[in-house]
Parts: sequence; C-alpha cells; structure tokens
Amino acid sequence: MNYHKQEIKEGINLHTIDTRNFKTNLYAVFIATPLKRENVTLDALLTAVLRRGTKNMTSQEMISQKLEEMYGASFDCGIEKTGDNHIIKFYLEAISEEFLPEKEELAQKCLDILFEIIFNPLIENDGFKKEYVEGEKQNLKQIIEAKIDNKARYALDRCIEEMFKNESYGLYKYGYVEDLNTITEKSLYEYYKQLIAGCKIDIFCSGIVENNKIEDLVKTNDKIEKLSARKAQYVVNNEKTEKVEVEETKTVEDHMQVNQGKLVIGLSVNSQKENARYTASVYNAILGGGANSKLFQNVREKEGLAYTAGANYVRQKNTIFVRCGIEIENYEKAMKTIKEQLEDMQKGNFDEKDIENAKNLIIESVKSIPSEQDTEITYYYGQELSDRFMTLEEYIKNIENQSKEEIVDLANKVQMNTIYFLRD
Amino acid sequence: MKLIESLNIKEKAYIEKLENGLTVIIVPKQNTSKKYIIWGTHFGSLDNRFMMPKTGEEVFIPDGVAHFLEHKMFEQENGTNSLDTLMALGIDANAYTTNDHTAYLFECTNHFYEGLDELMDYVQHPYFTDENVEKEKGIIGQEIKMYDDDPGWQLYMNAMDCMYQKNPIKIDIAGTVESISEITPDVLYKCYNTFYHPSNMVMVVCGDFVPEKLIEEIKKRIVKKESQGEIKRIYPEKETNINKPYKEVEMEVSSPIFIVGYKDTENLKENREQIIKKHIAIEILLNMIMGKSSKPYQELYESGDLLAQPDLDYEFSDEYAHILISGQSKNPQKIQEKIKETVKKYVENGLDEDHFNRIKKKIYGDYVVEYNSVGDIARMFLSDKIKQINSFDYIEEYNEVTKEYTEQILKNVFKEENMILSVVKCK
Repeated sequence: MNYHKQEIKEGINLHTIDTRNFKTNLYAVFIATPLKRENVTLDALLTAVLRRGTKNMTSQEMISQKLEEMYGASFDCGIEKTGDNHIIKFYLEAISEEFLPEKEELAQKCLDILFEIIFNPLIENDGFKKEYVEGEKQNLKQIIEAKIDNKARYALDRCIEEMFKNESYGLYKYGYVEDLNTITEKSLYEYYKQLIAGCKIDIFCSGIVENNKIEDLVKTNDKIEKLSARKAQYVVNNEKTEKVEVEETKTVEDHMQVNQGKLVIGLSVNSQKENARYTASVYNAILGGGANSKLFQNVREKEGLAYTAGANYVRQKNTIFVRCGIEIENYEKAMKTIKEQLEDMQKGNFDEKDIENAKNLIIESVKSIPSEQDTEITYYYGQELSDRFMTLEEYIKNIENQSKEEIVDLANKVQMNTIYFLRD
Repeated sequence: MKLIESLNIKEKAYIEKLENGLTVIIVPKQNTSKKYIIWGTHFGSLDNRFMMPKTGEEVFIPDGVAHFLEHKMFEQENGTNSLDTLMALGIDANAYTTNDHTAYLFECTNHFYEGLDELMDYVQHPYFTDENVEKEKGIIGQEIKMYDDDPGWQLYMNAMDCMYQKNPIKIDIAGTVESISEITPDVLYKCYNTFYHPSNMVMVVCGDFVPEKLIEEIKKRIVKKESQGEIKRIYPEKETNINKPYKEVEMEVSSPIFIVGYKDTENLKENREQIIKKHIAIEILLNMIMGKSSKPYQELYESGDLLAQPDLDYEFSDEYAHILISGQSKNPQKIQEKIKETVKKYVENGLDEDHFNRIKKKIYGDYVVEYNSVGDIARMFLSDKIKQINSFDYIEEYNEVTKEYTEQILKNVFKEENMILSVVKCK
C-alpha cells in the first residue's frame, strides 16, 4: 500500500501517501473537534485569523510573497462538517522538486510555512492582533450572509438545518452572525490555546515523498516538538447509528426571488444492520446516482420536470438528500413522481441490471480516488475518523456484496423526514 | 505520428492527422489508472452564421443551436441514450458547449474500449425527430432558467454586453426560451453535417496508453465520410470601441459582485505567433495588479472592500479578446479605481524587477499544476488546439517573456478607454 501512518505523539499522527500521479506535493493539517454551537463561529473565525499573519511572517502579504517565491505554492484553509465533527483544514500545495526549472529544496519550506501558520500565530498583548480579528469578523459576517447566493446549496443547507434541528449536524459550518459580536481578540486566543492543546491533529503528505525524510522533517520541527501528547476529543464515526423514527414528515417552505424552485427531501435510513451503509450507497445510486437512476430517468427524462434531479448519500449521518430544480408550478407533479420512485424501491421494482449499474458507478468512483490528491487524503482521513480502517479494495468488496434482498429490506426502512421547498 | 515534448515537466504528446482530417492527440501517462477522452468540434455559440461547404448555402441559425445539438447527440435511433449506456458501464460521461467548441467526453478506470465504441458511435450517428427535439425544449428551458437565477452568469453576460455591440460572444450559450423554440431537426442536421465533419474535429486522449495501438483502435471506429472544404464562418465586423462602460442589475445576492474588464482591441489573427507570450505577460500583469501579494489587493482586503482575491482571466479567440477581474465587493467602483490607478502607476514607473520575477516563478508553477489530472490535460489540449495552440508552448515560452515585453503589453492592452464595469447589486 502506498499509504503509511505513524503516531508522532498521542493524538497527533503523520500520514504519508506515496504517489507519482501528480506534479505536486500536497501537505495538509486537519484539526478535529466535536461540532458544537458555541464553537462553530469561533472555529471559522480562527481559521481566517490564522492565515492573516504569523510571528515570523506578520502579514498576508509576506506569506504570499514567500509562497510565490516557491513557484507559486498555494496555501488554503477551510472548514468542514464531517459527521458530528468540525474539521479545520489547512493545505499547502507545491510543485514536486523534480519538475522545477532549477534545483531547490521545497519540502522543508512547505512544512515550515504550514506549521508556522497554524502553531505560531502573531500574538500581541495576550491576544491575536486586534486589527486582524476585527477585519475577519466583518469578512466572516459577509460569508455567513452569502449563504443565500447559491440557491441550490442554500436549499440543501436549509433542509439539513430543519432535519437536524437541535442536533449538532444541523449547525452551519461557518457559524452565526449573532455569535460573532461577543468574540474578542483575547477570547479567541484563549479558545485557540485550549483547542490546540486538546484537539486531534492529523498531518498528511502526498506526492513524491520519502517516508523517512518527511517523518524526520515533521518530528524535528520546533512547533511540532512543542505540542504535547493529548487524549484527543472528537466524535468517532461509528458504522452503526441510533434509530431515528420519523413520526411525521416535516414540510418547510421558504420564499425568495427565484425563477426555478429548489426541492430538497431529506430521507432517514433507519437500518442498524452490519454493512447497512454499503447497502444505502447502492440504494442511493439506484434511486438518484446518475443518468440511469430512477430520479433522473423519471423526473427529468420521462416527465421533463427538471434539469437537475438526483440524490446523494451522507454516509456519516446515514441520510439521503433528494434534490431537484423544478418549475415552481410543477411541485405537486414532481412530488408525486419522486414518491413513486421511493415506492418502486420498496417494492423491488428494479432489476439485477440496475443494481449492477449502480455498483459500477460507485466502484468506479472509488477506483478514481487515487487520481485526485485531496480526494485520496480525504478518504484516508475518513478512515482515521472511523472506528475501523478500510482499504479501497475492501470498500469495493463490500459494495459488490450487496444483494437485491438487502436493498429492498433497506428501502422499507427509508423514511421521508423533511421536505424542503425554496420558491418565489 | 508527430511527437512533441516538454522536458521540464517530463510530458510528451503524440499528434496525428488522420486521412479523413480528424486530428488526434494522445498524451500518455504511465501508472495512472484513470483514462480520459474528449472529442470536440470547432462549433460553439459564436458560430451562428456560416456557409455550408458543399452547397455554398448561407445559413443563419437561432441562438443556442450548438448547445441544443450537444443535448440531442446522446439519443439513439434504437431508443437508447448513450449517456445511460456509458453510465451503465460505470463510465462517467458528459458533454459541454462553449463559445467556440462542443465537446463529448468520458473518464473511466475500466471498460475504456467499450466506452470508445459507444462514444464514437453516438457522435457519428445523429438521430433527430420532431418529437425528440420538442421534448428537449422543456429540459433546456429549465437549464436556461437555472442560469437566469445564477448571479455570476448574469454578471458575465452583462460584462460582455458592456464590451461588445454585435459580437456573438454576447449570445447566451444555451440561447433563450424563445430562440430555442425555433429549433427543428432540419436546423440540427444542417449544423451537424457542416461542423461534425472530422476535418473540423479534434480528439484528445490522456491515460496509460501505447499511442500506436490506441490510434489503430480509433481508426477502426471511424465512419467514412466524403471530404469537405473549409467552413466559411461569418462574423460581424471587429468593433474597436466598447459598447458601454457600465452596467448594473439587481438580484438576490448578499453582497454585490463585479467584473472589471478590459477589452483587448489588438488584432489577434495577425499576432498569432505572439499569442502565448502575450497571454503569459497578461497573467503576470494581472497578478502584479491584483494578485495575493500585490499592494492594491492588500489595501482593499484590509479596508474590507475585498473578501478574497478576485479571479483573474484573459479570454480570447480570433473574434474577441478581453481581460476579466471578478470578485465580490460592497464597493465595486472603488476596485475599478484602484485598478486604474495601479495600471497608471505601473505604466509611468515601469514594473518592479523583484516583483516581476517573483510572479513569473508563480506563473510557472500555475502551468505545471495543470498537468495534475488526466482530465485537465485533455481539456486543455482540446481547447488550445481549437485556438491552434500547442499547450506545451506555455511552459516552453515562459522564459522568453521579459519585463520590457510585459511593460509593452501593459501599455497596449490595459487602456483606460477600453475599461468596463459590470455589477450585480443586492436587491
């Protein structure tokens, strides 16, 4: 296997992926912490403030200049919800040394800059630089308010929010404007210290890497040396899930100035069987996975009701989201057609060929994972957060093993949880 | 087969023009499991008026035909849909239309030759009927509506409206609900027979292949067609001035978005051998004006006028060329002023040597990163080839671009009188 993991200290791991598929080396640091209302806004703001400047590179301008000198290495950071964890992600991508026009040592520089940004922030009077914090509060406010801009995405986010009301997964990853006001440069720094001391830290290096050399560079880095071992706090992604019985389907409608209605339906998958997540993947692919799926064929091709019609499965939450962009007056028609597809699944109105197609679709996407550098990293990180490690080959085997019986059985445990419609 | 090579990044490409005129480019990538193929025709939304090579008949077509044709190509006479057939093999297939080309593609790790069978079959066998054309109007109508709600697309179309009076770049690629209502099977066949001739098409394949073997497999699947003369495309005359300096609309967005543009009025056809150097110089300039480490960007970021670095683009073909700086800001006018000011300063004082060299290094890296995925490589070779460009030249000519040359380009292209601003405001 080209993947290798080792513990640097308790709660801090180094993962290397040795691959020659790319012209670049990608370095990443992921920080995981349980998703909580009181922390989401802090996490999002913190990410933004850290990239503004460090102790040794006090401004964004200085950081950018350094990166440009390294043949346009690019730094990026972001925030994700993965199951019930909030993940702060930092990436640095640089050309592999063998494709440079002149010989130069880049690996060490990359790791140094990445660790410097995360672990050696610019501190003034026991807090982050006030100007940076205030500026980023304004920016974050705009980012949070911008969630209405992409209507399809907004409709999905709203459906998630309604479906997981009062649960951590319902939280918005960038946080809330009303929580921003109370944050100061000092309180944010206090939070940062506490976060860095107790969070789960995973370091990834992918590309043309020599394990020993990278291990050495990471272990001897002074910022890493300073970190203490920790019993990392995070939510392990368990393959089994608690049962969420839906008593009544919730219906929510929002109004906005749109030409096209956005329909999102959240489905709960209530199966606790071993390997139910693989069955759900296949179920999802038959229902709405691609051009052969029931939704695409019936909602788009047969009825001509939509341009987009499909479903996606959120594994960590065992939830499927059906998504369509439809003519607003066609709401009833679309709902009727979608319900028919769900019933068809329950009755087993699909054949071996449909199952085969669905499996092919999933297997192909799994096989493609090594051809995208960040996707491969994300896959292994997903395994890291899960209660057991699975290779790509094992994953594929599990998909192949799903039978029609299991799919029909699961179809009867799928319940419509929330119907969300964004309209004019 | 002709071999072209880039030693710096250790990549090769094989090019062959088949007897029937089809250009095939193969970029071998050892050890990669993913294979990518794209087959494009030099037919996009710009081509709305042309002479049919065989009859000499002049044809005007409704807006949106190239894109409509793309949708309809998948439907087969036996009732199957090629997209479904490919998907059933686990192959991820798609198609898209731009202003100068239409492309059909798929990527896979398995079943490549079965996919090739299907791709080459459906692209060479059109099947249009009154009924299947009518049905598609509903689906494309929804697609058009989706774009109507997309502030970024509206912003871009308005920028084109600012820069050009009659140029077909102003036409929405998908057309309008009205224009597509005029489309008939006859129009589609006329366009198909003209533009889907092999001599007007380019195929690019990237993945772990033996080029000689692959080219034989492609030849086997070619349907014989009579040769055809050149397609005469009729475009409106070149306009030297912009249409209007400013356009704004209101939409439901959280914060205004903007495009600051410069129309490039230099004649591209006459400067073809210079185009790559020019493109590189413009990318360097854009980064010096609004890149992450540039002073103007830092100032606008710190004053809260910019949230992130604007996107920097240079788009060109024989019929149009323009620069686009696009982003989100509550104060678009201020961004435009800042850009204007910076250009003026750079023109007067010349470019800073260190800054220039640093950005040049960055641009080199940007080009190399393009070679990270088989899909990016194939799409890049196709769209460059349609413009008669060899993609490797960006890496080979990079060193030729001097500070003096770049300063000249700054003066020729970044002209105040060619500047426009398009804004989508909050409702």
